[in-house]
Amino acid sequence: MTKLNSFRLIKGERIIDAKGGDVLERGAILLQGDKIISIGREEDVIPPEGSQVEEIVYENKTVLPGLVDCHVHLNGIGDGRKGDQLNLLPDEILTLQAAKNARTHLFSGVTTVRDCGAKNSTTLRLREAVEMGITVAPKLVLAGRPMAIIGGHLWWFGIQATGPNECRAHVRQLVKEGVDFIKITASGGSTGTSVPLRPSFNLEEMNAIVDEAHKFGKHTAAHCTNSQSMINALDAGIDTIIHGVYNEPDGDRSYRPDITERIVDQGVFLNPTIHQSRERIWQLEEKSQNQKLNPEEVEELNTTKEGHEQRIEEVSKMWEAGVKIVCGSDSAWANYKMGRFQADINSHISIGMSPMEAILSATNLSAQSCCIDDQVGTLEVGKNADILVVEGDPSKNIDDLWNIVDIYQDGNLIDRGNYI
Amino acid sequence: MVQKNDFKLIKCGNLIDCTGNAPVKNGAILLESSKIKSIGHESNVIPPEGASIKVYDYSKYTVMPGMVDCHTHNNGFGDGRLGEELNLLADEILTLQSIRNLRASLFSGVTTIRENGPKNFTLINLKKASNDYMVLTPRMLICGRPLSIIGGHMGYFGSEVTGIDEVRAETRNLIKQGADYIKITATGGSTQTSFRYRHSFNLDELNAITSEARKFGKLTATHCVSTQGIVNSIKSDVDMIIHCMFNEPDGSNKFRPEIVDDLFNKGTYINPTLHVVRATIWDLLNIKERIGLTGSQEKLLDDRKRDFDIHLNNCTKMIDSGLKFITGSDSSWSSYQSGNTVYETECLNMAGLSNMASLLSVTKEAAKSLDIDDLVGTLEIGKEADLLVLNSNPLEDISNLWDVKDVFLAGRYIDRGSEKSLKSIRQLRPSLN
Ligand SMILES: [Zn+2]
Ligand SMILES: [Zn+2]
Repeated sequence: MTKLNSFRLIKGERIIDAKGGDVLERGAILLQGDKIISIGREEDVIPPEGSQVEEIVYENKTVLPGLVDCHVHLNGIGDGRKGDQLNLLPDEILTLQAAKNARTHLFSGVTTVRDCGAKNSTTLRLREAVEMGITVAPKLVLAGRPMAIIGGHLWWFGIQATGPNECRAHVRQLVKEGVDFIKITASGGSTGTSVPLRPSFNLEEMNAIVDEAHKFGKHTAAHCTNSQSMINALDAGIDTIIHGVYNEPDGDRSYRPDITERIVDQGVFLNPTIHQSRERIWQLEEKSQNQKLNPEEVEELNTTKEGHEQRIEEVSKMWEAGVKIVCGSDSAWANYKMGRFQADINSHISIGMSPMEAILSATNLSAQSCCIDDQVGTLEVGKNADILVVEGDPSKNIDDLWNIVDIYQDGNLIDRGNYI
Repeated sequence: MVQKNDFKLIKCGNLIDCTGNAPVKNGAILLESSKIKSIGHESNVIPPEGASIKVYDYSKYTVMPGMVDCHTHNNGFGDGRLGEELNLLADEILTLQSIRNLRASLFSGVTTIRENGPKNFTLINLKKASNDYMVLTPRMLICGRPLSIIGGHMGYFGSEVTGIDEVRAETRNLIKQGADYIKITATGGSTQTSFRYRHSFNLDELNAITSEARKFGKLTATHCVSTQGIVNSIKSDVDMIIHCMFNEPDGSNKFRPEIVDDLFNKGTYINPTLHVVRATIWDLLNIKERIGLTGSQEKLLDDRKRDFDIHLNNCTKMIDSGLKFITGSDSSWSSYQSGNTVYETECLNMAGLSNMASLLSVTKEAAKSLDIDDLVGTLEIGKEADLLVLNSNPLEDISNLWDVKDVFLAGRYIDRGSEKSLKSIRQLRPSLN
């Protein structure tokens, strides 16, 4: 563990502070304990006189903030199984899986995650275990159980609420248990009993949830796979829209510039989860190289591809319109295993982001959307020393984010070989 | 997961198969998937023609079976906390602690553990996750929960029962839930509401449990820290006696040779758990060196030292009488942390087992005591390829069991991670005596 009065000087060929400016050539960061106390050009970062300083030099490497994945499901297995099956596992197993995912994500360079829905108290227990030193994890921003209607998306994780009163009571219960934000499934989804093309909660219920959450200083994020659910979420004053798919009740998919405009005007974050479907496309394409796909798989590949292309088109328009797009993988939901957040960051290039903009969407902006930007997301004086060191220059080639050299969490160098 | 027709050739400078035979120089083991296909001098171990074979060259090392630890508490922390405190933690947390302990054991060379007392469904569910390859663990034989009387030792873990109907019902429940054997606390113990110098279950209850377990082909093991528990266990045909301490109701220790004769005649396995007593002594010595001891701690230290000496002495007599001693660490109970099983084997060595007998106590004999010697415990054709590769020879010095180079579980090479994290597993011997 870092001692409070220990100084460390990290020097890098390039530093991306993720504040939106240029890459800092030959920069340095001075850490005291778990915090950044100075950052700038090498010659401008001077440790206090007479202090003992450990110096770490990263030649030809890039230093940037630890990644912030604003959408994970730590309970997930990412092997294609449906949530309807996943939730049948006992809490002990889901907690074990959460610990495994958390470790994998941390070792892949993600130092903060926001969990957007887990069963019962599993993720809250994981955090307790981290605090006890039993296991390691990124910083955890937790929803605990998601708010769902009866039969709604993710209902089996533990909450089915009806009416403003019940909604408020559940929010209070979650806040009492220590959650950091409230996740709402504002539309149906992959849950078998839910209706993906229709909104779930009525507006008065959405209002009650968001209002109650904001009262306690907790932010809100809504899963929306159709246009009406987005409108409801926006009416209720939501902070993040997840997925944000423009579906009409009849299944018609037509882009709604009016809704996009509201998202921009209200300053709402959009987490488009673009890569989730592409991961499946990649899997099926890889499989097809070695063996013949069965007819169901061919069908799945075609429809997934079609949907993915529409998605790119929609989100590109939203990006162009000025929506604050944040990177959140949605792993380990569906087929997307954890430890591969970089693939979702890469997907932001396909909607027109520059590599630097994609980095910002997975650090600074993502941290803002998780309301944890006072601690992480950029490399600035006073923030926690969550730092990623990679080979190459991801501001030119985004896939250099895969080339992890070192990871620091709160100033501690992570031992990525620690399997205990 | 192991592929079909996946062959590995393990070259062994010094091959100890733990059948009791002399080691073989320049040995070799051929693995097919998870099993041993052929074993012996390297000139006799011929891989099938044309097969693709991965070769592991351990010609400068000792290869032996993975260790079998007959007694573990994976919920525990081994930091001296009482079971009563441990038991207050949420099941999810106990489960996460368990997987950490299990990995520590596996990385230290223990490829099979028996679990002797976890809370609720923690190990039952963890074992399911292990069977589905969601988590990496040693092979596990679990009791589910220990059977206890009301207020008895470890009753807080969830199975307090009274009377022959209830004990039978709970035995059936445990078996239904996936218990591999039945653990019974036949005397009190460290649990504060229990009476360590008295037996817990009445003989009719104990008989009901063991007969029910036997009916389903399940073994039984009793925790006995006082003499009447041992006597009752013998009468009930219990398969393994844990601790096996000869304490009288007044707290005095009185070795009972006639009971030892009975144990010999029954062929009961003895798991003496010497080091768990010494671990407390070491804990106190560490505190003494760091900050000094209070008067009551000094007294506790003296008491524990005396307990250890008496028990060690009794163990020597039992070994001399030919009782079957096996290694079961009792970690992470009390102050004994998982991944340190070898300390217990060293204690058995100190009590009088030869180096070979000590080695067998944590391999072949341990596997026999768990009735899994058809699978593991020795390196023989047809058995599972659980291998421990050591830098030095444990037959020269049993402490060389610490000197682990590599571990294989079911034919699979185990990536044990960084040296730094492996080092953190070992509990250090105090410098004071
Ligand atoms: Zn999600
Ligand atoms: Zn025990």
